[in-house]
Amino acid sequence: MNYDQRIEHLREEKLRQTNEKLKKLGTRDEDDYGCVLPPDDFHWEPPVTRDDGSFFGAYAWGKNFRSLMENHPVYIDSCDALAGRWMFMLSRMRPGYRLELAPFPPEFDYSHLRNEQGKYDITCGIGKDAHFAPDYEIGLRLGWGGLLEKVRDCKSKLGDQDGLELLTAEEDAILGIQNWITRSAEHAGNMAAREPDPILRQNLLDMHEVNARLVEYPPQTFREACQWIAWFNMASRTHNRDGAGGQLDELLRPYYEKDINRGLIDDEDATFYLACLLLNDPHYYQIGGTGSNGEDVTSKLSFLILEAAKRLKVSCNLTISVHDGLDENLFRFGLQCLLEEKMGFPRFSGEKSLVKGFVRSGFSRDLARKRIAVGCNWMSLPGREYTLNDVIKINIAKVFEVAFEEMIGDVEDEPASLERLAELFSSHLGKAVLCTAKGIDFHLDRQFRNEPELLLNLLCYGPIEKARDASNGGLEYYNMCIDGAGLATVADSFAAIEQRVVREGRLDFSELADNLHKDFEGIEGRRIRQMLGGSEKFGQGDSLGDKWAGWLTDNFAETVKSANTPGGRRLMPGWFSWADTVRFGKSVGATPDGREANTPISHGANPNPGFRKDQALTAMCKAVAAVQPGYGSTAPWQLELDIGACDIADAADKIGGLIKTHLELGGTLININVVNAEQILQAHENPDLYPDLIVRVTGFTAYFSNLSKEFRQLVVDRIITR
Amino acid sequence: MGSGLIASIQRFSLHDGPGIRTTVFFKGCQLKCPWCHNPETIARKAELIFYPQKCIGCGACLEVCPAGAHKLSPDGQHEIDRDLCTGCFKCCDECFSGALQIVGQSRSVQDVLREVMQDELFYSNSHGGVTLSGGEPLLQAEFAAELLKECRSLGLRTAIESNLALPWSVIEKVLPFTDLFMVDIKHFDAKKHRDLTGVDNRLVLENIQKLDDSPVELIVRTTLVAGLTDSPGNIRQTAEFLKELKSLKYYELLTYHPLGLDKCIALGKIEASEKFSAPDSQEIQRLLGIASLAARPVFLDGKGIAENELRSEN
Repeated sequence: MNYDQRIEHLREEKLRQTNEKLKKLGTRDEDDYGCVLPPDDFHWEPPVTRDDGSFFGAYAWGKNFRSLMENHPVYIDSCDALAGRWMFMLSRMRPGYRLELAPFPPEFDYSHLRNEQGKYDITCGIGKDAHFAPDYEIGLRLGWGGLLEKVRDCKSKLGDQDGLELLTAEEDAILGIQNWITRSAEHAGNMAAREPDPILRQNLLDMHEVNARLVEYPPQTFREACQWIAWFNMASRTHNRDGAGGQLDELLRPYYEKDINRGLIDDEDATFYLACLLLNDPHYYQIGGTGSNGEDVTSKLSFLILEAAKRLKVSCNLTISVHDGLDENLFRFGLQCLLEEKMGFPRFSGEKSLVKGFVRSGFSRDLARKRIAVGCNWMSLPGREYTLNDVIKINIAKVFEVAFEEMIGDVEDEPASLERLAELFSSHLGKAVLCTAKGIDFHLDRQFRNEPELLLNLLCYGPIEKARDASNGGLEYYNMCIDGAGLATVADSFAAIEQRVVREGRLDFSELADNLHKDFEGIEGRRIRQMLGGSEKFGQGDSLGDKWAGWLTDNFAETVKSANTPGGRRLMPGWFSWADTVRFGKSVGATPDGREANTPISHGANPNPGFRKDQALTAMCKAVAAVQPGYGSTAPWQLELDIGACDIADAADKIGGLIKTHLELGGTLININVVNAEQILQAHENPDLYPDLIVRVTGFTAYFSNLSKEFRQLVVDRIITR
Repeated sequence: MGSGLIASIQRFSLHDGPGIRTTVFFKGCQLKCPWCHNPETIARKAELIFYPQKCIGCGACLEVCPAGAHKLSPDGQHEIDRDLCTGCFKCCDECFSGALQIVGQSRSVQDVLREVMQDELFYSNSHGGVTLSGGEPLLQAEFAAELLKECRSLGLRTAIESNLALPWSVIEKVLPFTDLFMVDIKHFDAKKHRDLTGVDNRLVLENIQKLDDSPVELIVRTTLVAGLTDSPGNIRQTAEFLKELKSLKYYELLTYHPLGLDKCIALGKIEASEKFSAPDSQEIQRLLGIASLAARPVFLDGKGIAENELRSEN
């Protein structure tokens, strides 16, 4: 079998496994992770639990993770260059786990925060894990043996009980992983003995050799480096779903150049190994961007990574960091992949605005350049920064509703007005941010007793050396992200009130409130809903909606940035809803922008669908660029590109122009979806017809058929209104 | 500066010339192509357009119409007596559902320019610019010339989509400010052209030749409507004619699409909503092959056709 045939086999196998997961586990509204199902007869239970079956703290996590690794089934595909697939998430094996609310030890009570968390629909992040970036360079340099030695060395110098417990757990984690790799290497060797195909037999023998070495030693070759990264990814996913990758071209470049110079591999070999790494798990990787002196780091490997993804044709989360000096050929090749493959990769981040924002947050330009795109919407300094990116959110549509209802309820004391509403909104936003900040302190003070970051700690600077978890002061920087969700819903609501109530006097506040409470019932209600919905919207350009979106952005950014948490932690604002627009919408009644009760709120920093009659993407591009909070976190543009726009003569010029202009205007990140509206509609009706259709839901990509009906509808609504 | 009757302005227009463009659709056309996909741009006056599927039956239009042109039947059906409509468009101001809309607004050069300039940066980043389309923009040649001149002075690349069935003296008004002409040859046969559009093609062909001697680029297009314009002879003759041109960027065949039908009905022009069809894909491939014999390169619906994709008709 040649490489193309092997890739084809691996892709088909992945599709089969994905369908198996769908049948067994049902639809899942999140990333298409690279995990596979365990064998039917596999059974494992965590050995260290409390009476209620849950477990907390470093000791329990270390023992349980090690046990899971030691029992983890081995997985080898003779066509694959890399060994292993992951099958479990230990963090989800605790009773009571929910995606939006992580378990926390009951002895740490935060019920004093719950009232306001509910009132403002805050996703507090307490007990949430990962969502910051490792520096793979540490692991590639030390290998598992070196990491173990480092842990033991640090352990021998410590007397602190918590520190000892953490480092013992780190030791257990590494020993568990080494056990898994050892068994996988043996299995590859055993399979080789039975493999009739000479090429695949040699592959299995090589796989055996690579992995037998990697149990202890750091990688020496390009293939070994890919395999090492894959092991870390799989172990980290198994631990707590961590999906942050790194600057892949730069991480692998030394191994690539060394092997090429020694004649060990050629570009075909390298591309195949990369394809296997990308297939193994859709971690978030950045390519392109700048080095510490501002120089472009694009290399041959940057192109090969894209080429591997292009050949693989499965969901990949690759981001090209665009800057003034970026190799234009890489940008163009990225566009080519996007337009030809239509699978939502690569994404494009804007280095200029991100660096400027991080500098505005008080950091040096050199440091800012090291902050890379490794998540749905987020940036992180690999190995040095704890952020809880993308897991702390305030539903500002809910904040708006609280303010509006208070204004209507107090009308006897103070007449309703736009100014009063804006004032109340600001006041409640301040309370929501403070409540969120208290939750962040609560988390940071106790998370190490809940769930230490056993895997990410290993590839960070500080946690092992200081014997302190990444969540507990082990790292250098703590930039705690708070994302606002529902920007367009609230901006358009303020705009509709200003236009229809204040300026035109078509209805008063009392009539407005009445219609909202009745969810626009009856023909007159429908007419009022359409009148409100037809007001000047965010995204139209110089509209009332644009004015209010700007006001909200400044207000939100300044409220978040105006003070640290009560515990002194730095906060960082962004606009991002992830795929939570459905969940957030369920907690909010009808809104003055004409949105009906309990329907989804607006998506991220995007204008509402139908914001302009011509739906011009240039207008949307400018609108999203204009609402960047500007402190280093993103407000991504979710860009739905119609397939017709990709199949014209100078599509690369046109779409490239759109992307570059957004980033020039201050945009930070573009998550792109290339959609065929007709196909999406058919797939929505009958997902089984399109098992391999991939869409970028928000920052992440997923098989469309794996999404719940509600989430499929969300994607459909974004596209079809256009 | 004067004003022009504008049907709409489309930002991020991808099919009206190179790069990202803003297309200004002029209202009014002297041709009567029955397959027109922009029928709302034909009449030289503002028009009422009505999409019944959007109507919620609120009756607000009935209350404001001074002529009693709107009626709601007992079963909630909204009907318009267009003979009674005086064109005051008060109903549109009260219709928030989008069922009633006005097509055609008088706009000044500065007003149009303000919207065009919203996307200035996109033009320079994508080799795009502004396109005047319609309708026939040259029916408002003075306004078009003023607008193009202003665009040029602001550094924008300019294009016109025209049927060229006008005296050369009209075209000369915009010529100094135009980089690209996108021109339709509806049919190469003069009689058939007249039968189909109501206008002779003599001026069209003459003007194309004159443009070829001018410092502009030229794209020529033919819409393929089954049974009307898709005969191999028509495409061959057109391509032969284009062969001699020096400034032709490409010859483009456009597949007929029925987008104009709903708009015809919404304009109350039921009789104009005749159904047409495009030739099948095999026939289109054949026509591309014929076209390429004379004129190169050949495009189909905005996309260049590579040599190896062309079917030989030798």
